[in-house]
Amino acid sequence: MTDVTHCTLDELLALREPDAPSEPGLAAARAHLAACATCAAEQERLEQRVARLRALPVLLPVRDRYAELEARLRRERRLRRVRWAGLGGLATAAGILGILVVGGMMTPSQGAADQQLSQVQAESRALEQELARLDPESRAMDLVTAQVAGQLQARIATIDDRLQRAALGTEPVANDQLIELWRERVGLMDALVDVHLTGASQVGL
Amino acid sequence: MAESYLLLNADAVLAEVRAGDPAAFERLYRAFEGPVFNLARRICRTAEDAEDVLQETFYEVHKSLAQYRGEGSLWGWVRTIAASKALMRLRRNKYRDTDELEDDFHPAAPKQDTLLRMDLEAALGRLGDTARSVVWLHDVEGYTHDEIGAMMGKTPSFSKSQLARAHEKLRRWLGEEVA
Repeated sequence: MTDVTHCTLDELLALREPDAPSEPGLAAARAHLAACATCAAEQERLEQRVARLRALPVLLPVRDRYAELEARLRRERRLRRVRWAGLGGLATAAGILGILVVGGMMTPSQGAADQQLSQVQAESRALEQELARLDPESRAMDLVTAQVAGQLQARIATIDDRLQRAALGTEPVANDQLIELWRERVGLMDALVDVHLTGASQVGL
Repeated sequence: MAESYLLLNADAVLAEVRAGDPAAFERLYRAFEGPVFNLARRICRTAEDAEDVLQETFYEVHKSLAQYRGEGSLWGWVRTIAASKALMRLRRNKYRDTDELEDDFHPAAPKQDTLLRMDLEAALGRLGDTARSVVWLHDVEGYTHDEIGAMMGKTPSFSKSQLARAHEKLRRWLGEEVA
């Protein structure tokens, strides 16, 4: 009786590859496969398994999350615009600060704080422009969106009141506090623009 | 498949997307959301992960559209982004990868087609993440071992051996072994 060495699964898989005909290392396996009914049956089972894998049903998403993606892309576009506007303001501020520092009128740490303040003010201005462009007053909105927008506007008004008093000198505010107030304003403005763009439910408010 | 619309109008749709038309981007999304989700779902463990991959894929498509030069099919380009996002998700989650629970899996002897298919789904889901990904990317999506190795940051030999081991297991679990 002679020992028969059948093809391994590795060889059967390799023989299915597009480059198999040019693989000299597979010549013996190919010759064996052509003559061996057992290996041919195994190869056939492998082909059937792959065919069944390909025939598995297409799985589809249960939830439609396109609105989420769209909101994210819109937000990115807006932030890009805000950053550009911020950079414009920043460049101007940097120029002025450079003159002041070189002229010995301001220390570098004061300069950094003023730079931050200019940037965050520029971001706030860009968001104001974005909101004006959306013109929310002229558009109908659902009750929840109107309520959320109202709450955001009230909080912005409170911050504006403090900023005004700081500007008039009636409420002394340290530089870092002032920057924080402006940052808070930018965050609220950003949320407000989002609400008018996508509705309260879409922005998770 | 909705892709047929894009095959006919790909250049026009892409030009509109690049020009910032949100409706055109939604058309692109709708055309490919099914196949992208299916690919992601076959690689990821949960539907939630696959949904996230779908989001990340189209976010990347939107960001990288300027780099798509029309070499190869649009679906091929989108699919490669989806596959790489799904594999990235796997790496991030670091799911179980080697400990298939084969002991409690007992396929019945003769089977009807539906039952066979159910068994195949179950067997596929029982494979480790890497092996399942290789099986799907190679046998169903048609990627080569070189491409799979590159996507996984491994060698083509790694992909080949993962595929062989996976088929050994599938064959055993599905009761297809030669007596």
